[in-house]
Amino acid sequence: MTDAHFGERAALYALGALDATESAALEAHLRVCAECAKLVGEAERDVDTIASLETRRRAPEALTNRVERLLAPARQPQAPWRFAAVAAAFLIGILPSAYLWERNRVMQDAMLSQSAAMDRLATTAHRTASFRPAGGALAADVMYPSDGSWYVIVVRGASHALHVAWMHDGAQTMLGDVVPHGRVAMLYLPKSHRMEQLALMDGPRVVAQAQLPY
Amino acid sequence: MARASGDEEALAVAFAAHERWAFARAYREYASLLYSVAYNVLSNSEEAQDCVADAIARLWRSPSAYSSGRGSLRSFLVVCVRNEAISRRRRQSRRLRLEERLAAMPVEHQELEVADPIERDRVRRAFAKLPDDQRAAVALAFYEGKTHTEIASELNAPLGTIKSRISHGLRKIAASLGSEGGER
Ligand SMILES: [Zn+2]
Repeated sequence: MTDAHFGERAALYALGALDATESAALEAHLRVCAECAKLVGEAERDVDTIASLETRRRAPEALTNRVERLLAPARQPQAPWRFAAVAAAFLIGILPSAYLWERNRVMQDAMLSQSAAMDRLATTAHRTASFRPAGGALAADVMYPSDGSWYVIVVRGASHALHVAWMHDGAQTMLGDVVPHGRVAMLYLPKSHRMEQLALMDGPRVVAQAQLPY
Repeated sequence: MARASGDEEALAVAFAAHERWAFARAYREYASLLYSVAYNVLSNSEEAQDCVADAIARLWRSPSAYSSGRGSLRSFLVVCVRNEAISRRRRQSRRLRLEERLAAMPVEHQELEVADPIERDRVRRAFAKLPDDQRAAVALAFYEGKTHTEIASELNAPLGTIKSRISHGLRKIAASLGSEGGER
């Protein structure tokens, strides 16, 4: 179990004993790490076992109606134009041109597997900052809105998964891994707080850093 | 407690695939459980309803939050709602901290609010079986919604120690509730 994994923090997460930043980092990591997802799943089952023995109340009808409205199908048709919007986003350079030539297709596949990231990039204004590599053929960018509420990290030329860390106050907080699909690797952090500096790490070694202006 | 049947598994797979019907069905299936979990943290019906609705909305907007490799969908939802409730309570208490401090009495860990006296007893027995240090750490997390940092400072122990007390304590309580469930 390396530092990038969450080990005993699985129980803390399931009990609600992590603070908001730590929870967000763990949730991001769980999207890419089956090992930690399983640990957290076990701890969740333990918490469920205790929580289920507490007082039960009937869910109010108002709540049920509210959730049903929330989950009702949206009125506008979705798929075709949304796909077109994403394709257009690529073409007009929302993603840096370095990614476009040659690997557009691979990139799109990776993006499609991350439909939530795709929605965000296609529909929300955002900035792009580049990582400065410490050497090697790595090219990486981070896309984020001006309030820092989400991040998409895209890495090209990584041969294996890299950790993404938030660098702050002389400390590193692991946010998750970027896992290559073809030659592109990405990590989507759908819910975050504002971060000024990110690093890509290969094991304990920082291989690139980005400063994020707001 | 949360043993997966074939139906539950099918639901979990569809939920992981972000199927609309699976979200609706999961809510219907666990509505009262999820509402109760929120209520037990927040002690207020309006807040508990907001909390459950927000938690479901957040999951609906973020497709890959659950994967079936994680295990029980029901347990995942319980923890999602519970964590949402705890962070709401933290935000409230940050606002109210000063007043609370003035009003607060030294609190023993409250009596567990369990409807069925037999079950209440089971939970109490499960907690009682733990070594003192583990019991205190788990109770502060479960019943008072404290963070591990707060627990470490309250119990005057290093963070690493607190993490493993909580981790081991939680496992033991659940195991002893699980095994007792079969016998009684
Ligand atoms: Zn992991």
